[in-house]
Order: sequence, then structure tokens, then C-alpha cells
Amino acid sequence: MIELVANNANYQLARRMLDASVLRHEAIASNIANAETPGYRRLDVAPDFQTALRAQFANGARPEGSEVAALRPRLAEDASVRSVRPDGNSVEIETELLAMGRNRVEHEYLTDLVSSNIRQLRMAISGRVAT
Amino acid sequence: MELITGISASSGALNAQRTRLDFIAQNIANANTTRGPDGRPFQRQIVTFESQLLNASGAGPGNGSALSTVRVAEVSNDPTPGQRVYDPGHPDADEKGMLTMPNVNIAHEMVDLITASRAYEANLSVVKNSRQMALKTLEIGR
Repeated sequence: MIELVANNANYQLARRMLDASVLRHEAIASNIANAETPGYRRLDVAPDFQTALRAQFANGARPEGSEVAALRPRLAEDASVRSVRPDGNSVEIETELLAMGRNRVEHEYLTDLVSSNIRQLRMAISGRVAT
Repeated sequence: MELITGISASSGALNAQRTRLDFIAQNIANANTTRGPDGRPFQRQIVTFESQLLNASGAGPGNGSALSTVRVAEVSNDPTPGQRVYDPGHPDADEKGMLTMPNVNIAHEMVDLITASRAYEANLSVVKNSRQMALKTLEIGR
């Protein structure tokens, strides 16, 4: 019964996205820390996580929880930005701070989503609306 | 993986920027020092940063590229010669009355000071964000 909730695609999806947002926060922390290191290339969550996720939802498909759980976000150097600075560093501090703000909202939303999944399960077990 | 994500990268950067601020303060303080312990005028000191891989924090083969923090690589002397001024009354002036001033440029140092303190602030805002995210994570299931 509890496995049914834990294997729910929505729940697994929120978990993986939460992993990705924590990983992205680490990358942003590293980018801002190295904002003035010559030759540093900015890090981000590798784009293959996003493409794999998109592919699972292609043509209106609804993936299984186990399929979603198999996804693993990882970090990679961001090849899409080019360095415009003479020291070869590709970090733009404004972009990083905006990305951090956006990532924080995403993280907050996802934690709420996971919490509400757990709350629903608890409600079903106890028959009471949790306060 | 750490409880507060990204804290080790940020703390390294805060340390490095603070060291830089210390050396800027030293340069400005000695902008007119014509005699150091070695008897020569003060030379401006430059702090160089380098990135340092963070192996402990979950960066591994499965995790893709490694995270890196920053640390002070070295503190070096600025080799540019100091300005020569004519001041025959000065005790450190040579026999022709010329005095070598330190090669510190106050305008330069002030710009550096602003850059360093803004970088410090940016890292501090990351730390605040990390903390909020960690607290939010601990609220899961409440």
C-alpha cells in the first residue's frame, strides 16, 4: 500500500526534480565562488536529464514510477555559454543570482509537492485531516 | 553530499575574498611607506585565486563534472617600479634628492576593494539561500 504511493510517478518525479534542484544549487554555489577564477567554466545540471525527462513524456505518455526513478541528474560544464571575458571565465554573476532565485522557488514548490503526497497518505491512513 | 548544499564551495570563496580584502587594506595602509623592514619602499601585494576541486561533496564519476571551490593560490609582489618624486628633505631620499614611493595606486585599490566586497556579498547571499533550502528540505513530511 505504501509502495503504491512511493512508486507513484508523480512522487518519484518530484523526488528526481528535487535532486536536480539541489544539484543545481551546488553548481550555482560553485559558479559564484569561482566568479573571479581565470579559466573557470560554469557548471550546471547536464542537459541530458531534461531531454530524457521530455522523452518519457513524449506523445502524452505517462511513465511508470520506476522509469522516472531510473533518471539520474548529474553536473556538467555548460557548453551553451561562451566566455566574453579576457580571463576565459564564463560566469556572469547576475545570471547566477537570478538562476539561484529561480531554483529556490522551484525547490520550495517541489518540497511542498512531496510533503502533500505524504500528507495525503497520512490522511488516508488516519482518516483525519492533518493540521 | 552535505546537509546544507554548496556550503563548502561558498565558505572557500568567502575565505578567499576576505584574504583579498585584508591585502587591499594592507596596500592602502602602506600607500606612503617608503621604508619597509628591508629598508626599501613598500611593494603592492597581489592575491591570486585558483579553483580547488571538491571531491568530498558528492562529486564523483556518477555525478558528472566535479564541483570546485576557490582558494588563495599565492600572494605575490607587484614588480612595477614605484613613482620617483623629488623630495630632498625626506630622510629616505637618495643623494640626488629623489625618493621612490610605493607602487600602490589608491584608485586601483579602491576598485579592487569594491569588487572584492561585492563578490563577498554574492557568496553570502548564496549561503543564506542554502540555509533556507536546507530548512525547507527538513520540513518535508511535516
